[in-house]
Amino acid sequence: MRALWRRVLELVWTRRLDRESAEELAHHFDTLVDEKRRAGLDEEDARRHARRELGSVDHAREQLAESRSGFQLEQLRREALYAIRVLRRAPGITLLSVATMGAGIGVSTILFALVSSILLRPLPYEDPEQLVRIFDTNPQLGVERAGAASGNIDDWRRRSSRFDGIAGFYSTGRTLSSDTDAEVVITAQVSRDFFPILGVAPLLGRAFSEEETRRAQYNNAAAPIGPDPVAVMSYPLWQRRFGADPGIVGRTVTLERRPFRIVGVMPERFAMPDARVLLWIPWDLSVDRPRDQHYLIAIGRLKNGVSIAEGEEDLAGVARELGREYPASNAGWSVRLSSLHAETVGDTARVLWVLFAAVGLVLLVACANVALLSLMRGLDRSDETSVRLALGASSARLLREFLIESSLLAAAGGLVGGVLAFVGLRALPLLTTELPRLDEVALDQRAVWFIAAVTVLAAIVSGVPPAWRRTRAIPIAGIASGSLRTTSPRHALRDAIVVVQVALSVVLLAGSGLLVRSFLQLRAADSGFDPRGVLVLPIFLDTQAYGTGARVRSYYATLFDRLAALPGVVAVGGATSIPTGPLGPAGERPVWPEGVSDQTARLPASIRMVTPGYFPSLGLGIADGRAFDDRDRPDAPAVVMIGETLARRLWPGQRAVGRRLMIDYSTAGTYSSEIVGVVKDVRFRGPRSEPLAELYIPHAQRSYLILNVTLRSTQDPRMLIPAVRQVLKEIDPHKPAHGVYPLEDLVGATIARDRQAMLTLVLFAAAAVCLAVMSVYGVLSQRVRERAREIGIRMAMGADRSRVVGWVIGLGLRMIVAGLVVGLGFAWAFTGTLAGLLFGVTPTDGATIAAVIALLLTVGVIASLIPSWRATRIDPAVILRRG
Amino acid sequence: MFGLQRGTRPQGVRISGQTRRRTVDSFPIDFDRSHALAIEKLDLLILKTLGLGPLHGYGIGQRIEQMSGGVFKLTLGALYPALQRLERSGLVTAEWSVSDNNRRARYYTLTAAGRRRLTVQQKAWERTAAAMLRVLKSQ
Repeated sequence: MRALWRRVLELVWTRRLDRESAEELAHHFDTLVDEKRRAGLDEEDARRHARRELGSVDHAREQLAESRSGFQLEQLRREALYAIRVLRRAPGITLLSVATMGAGIGVSTILFALVSSILLRPLPYEDPEQLVRIFDTNPQLGVERAGAASGNIDDWRRRSSRFDGIAGFYSTGRTLSSDTDAEVVITAQVSRDFFPILGVAPLLGRAFSEEETRRAQYNNAAAPIGPDPVAVMSYPLWQRRFGADPGIVGRTVTLERRPFRIVGVMPERFAMPDARVLLWIPWDLSVDRPRDQHYLIAIGRLKNGVSIAEGEEDLAGVARELGREYPASNAGWSVRLSSLHAETVGDTARVLWVLFAAVGLVLLVACANVALLSLMRGLDRSDETSVRLALGASSARLLREFLIESSLLAAAGGLVGGVLAFVGLRALPLLTTELPRLDEVALDQRAVWFIAAVTVLAAIVSGVPPAWRRTRAIPIAGIASGSLRTTSPRHALRDAIVVVQVALSVVLLAGSGLLVRSFLQLRAADSGFDPRGVLVLPIFLDTQAYGTGARVRSYYATLFDRLAALPGVVAVGGATSIPTGPLGPAGERPVWPEGVSDQTARLPASIRMVTPGYFPSLGLGIADGRAFDDRDRPDAPAVVMIGETLARRLWPGQRAVGRRLMIDYSTAGTYSSEIVGVVKDVRFRGPRSEPLAELYIPHAQRSYLILNVTLRSTQDPRMLIPAVRQVLKEIDPHKPAHGVYPLEDLVGATIARDRQAMLTLVLFAAAAVCLAVMSVYGVLSQRVRERAREIGIRMAMGADRSRVVGWVIGLGLRMIVAGLVVGLGFAWAFTGTLAGLLFGVTPTDGATIAAVIALLLTVGVIASLIPSWRATRIDPAVILRRG
Repeated sequence: MFGLQRGTRPQGVRISGQTRRRTVDSFPIDFDRSHALAIEKLDLLILKTLGLGPLHGYGIGQRIEQMSGGVFKLTLGALYPALQRLERSGLVTAEWSVSDNNRRARYYTLTAAGRRRLTVQQKAWERTAAAMLRVLKSQ
């Protein structure tokens, strides 16, 4: 420790120490001279004698200086300057190396930041590892995971023993209005434990009190009916609509035409359940609520030290109890717990890890390229190295010099990479919105350490092979070889690097090929509806103005008439929820054939209320019977349509049309309806999803406030957006749509992640292949240069040009094929991890592998063409004259 | 001396520099730092000298020469790197002070650690030297 401290001091005090040792040495010398003079020698002789006895003062001083830390640093500085001169001698290669390395480091840092922020960093809540998502599950009905039923939440929280709290919530669009305008915002109504278990303190004000929660009652249309309703506001809404007014707490906002008092504002990054939610309102779940509508998101906080499995066991016990107490609604239902982090990140984790691994491979290829570049530069400098070795330079010193060179390249690359990552992460939100926790992604301290580590790694990977190679230059042979060119040993390393590069590119190419195939399959997949030309407008009516079914129907009838009159519109309809649409109630109700009393015959069906125009506007196919039409009025006999899947499950092998179906509406009673038609299956959540057991109910007979209105036009639906907004405003200025967007965008969003993963991996593979091809080209060019003499002689002796071309291309293909063999082996192991990302393609897809082979052989031949052409242009006369 | 001190890099100690012929006596002991045994010897000599009291570099050199009966003559290139080494490892400390001839000089003092090292090294060396002598004197 003390020695280290001294070393540091030496570093700082270099000048002073040098001055002191000079003085000390001079004192020694002068004292001896004085002595000699006293003994009778004259000045000159005294000095001569002293020098003879003591040796040179200057030399001693140098010796002292050399052993000080500063001197070693100084030497390093000199070597670095030398390396910079060497690098500047070949600016093209240096720039290329730095750019390659910078791109590699930059892109891998971006992916590291994503992995680190999204996957590794804990969620921004208090003790986030104790937070879980709770799902209902019913193995008998084949329901893996369903939302929680609102009626159970309060029993769960009171009867369980291993939770600090359990909350349920539900998001829906509500109209926020002022005197001048109105907009639909997504609100979450949250039960009493919601804010306490997340443990995030509001930025202003407070969360809901017990009393505020207790009086927060809703009618069965999810409209608040309790007195003095309150709300907590999100940071973005506070900023945007209320100008960050510090006095917002205590003020009221008009929501669903009722005044809500603001009690608090949440901090900027608070996004639960997601960033779309702009207002939270309390919800009392302690009063009697339905136990068989599984539509809530439930979260819980496990007590400290309680594992997820223990929590699940605890809550499953409560669920069994409830099953005995309420057999009609709860029998067979249990719970499943999963960490909130895993649920938030979702399957993004797999994509990110795959891309992170892929970028690692790209970085390796890039480093190999830089290694190759400096290796080739080294071969050009082998004469210099030979001379220095012959003159006695230690190979350790040479090794250090070369490593300094590669470290400088890597450091410059790291700098470029850091800037690239910084800019890239800034631009990321513009490129993608599909990532969870995107607002938390940043170039943090961990990312900076990552850059440092990768830079060191890059310096080693790209520096050691050429350094090792160069210090093994043969001193005498190198000098003597004005003409003599040694061949084989120096090629082995170079070729090996190229083969490794090709192999790594093959792995990336195979992976990206699979994703491309998968994406094409996804896009071409028939989901049962046609999104082209369809515009979607989610409308959320409120009970204040639309309290009766008649009013709701009349609003929508007017809306449909006005929309149908717009130019190009061929069909207008609506449904409570639409395929791939994010908004709208998506409830499930138990159904069974009329006359069957067996409880096990009940199946959960996902229900939507639809208007007759819904089927043509989405292009849904009618498999059997008829679609709804004007006959199905409110007072007409109750009718329903069902999807093929539900029909198959209820009446396997039999015709469903004409039969009667029982639907359990829980508190609203049980109804019997006639099935008038069977609708072709729809993959409701995008092409990857399985068709749901769907039940369609005429909106006229069950008039929901919320409808996703769909309109099909013959032109680009975007053109209609202003006209549609105008229509909405004219009918009811307080009821704008929550956005108006083409259905194709919604469908695209379900495969957006696939698109991004594919594009990213294709980019990586392209980069790797480019680098590998550059290497093949570079190595072949150098080979041709080295063998120019031999080629010249052969051609002078009458060798055929085509044989020379064949030789060069053969060399290139040999490297490519070797790389292919190794790479396909690796790919076989690597692409297995892609299995979860693929759609309609197996990881060992023959067509993809064939395409990879064909592509690489083609680029291999192309890379060989220029060197081989150059080989044929060698003029034997010139070569021979050169001797 | 046979050229060593005439060149620019005289290193080490010359033993009995009176004669200019190549004799066993005059063969220089190599105090080059790569020579572990020589370093150990030189360090011990310096520690021993300082064991008698603080001294500046010149005094150390003089005293070693006197005590060895003129056999060990230290060049600057041997003495000062050795002092630097000892100081770095905390066996001696140095301080500027005024010397007898009224000039600023750096005085070296043995630290406690240096004194311990001196005792240990001296014992070890005495045993080695005695053993060496026994071997060399035996017939």
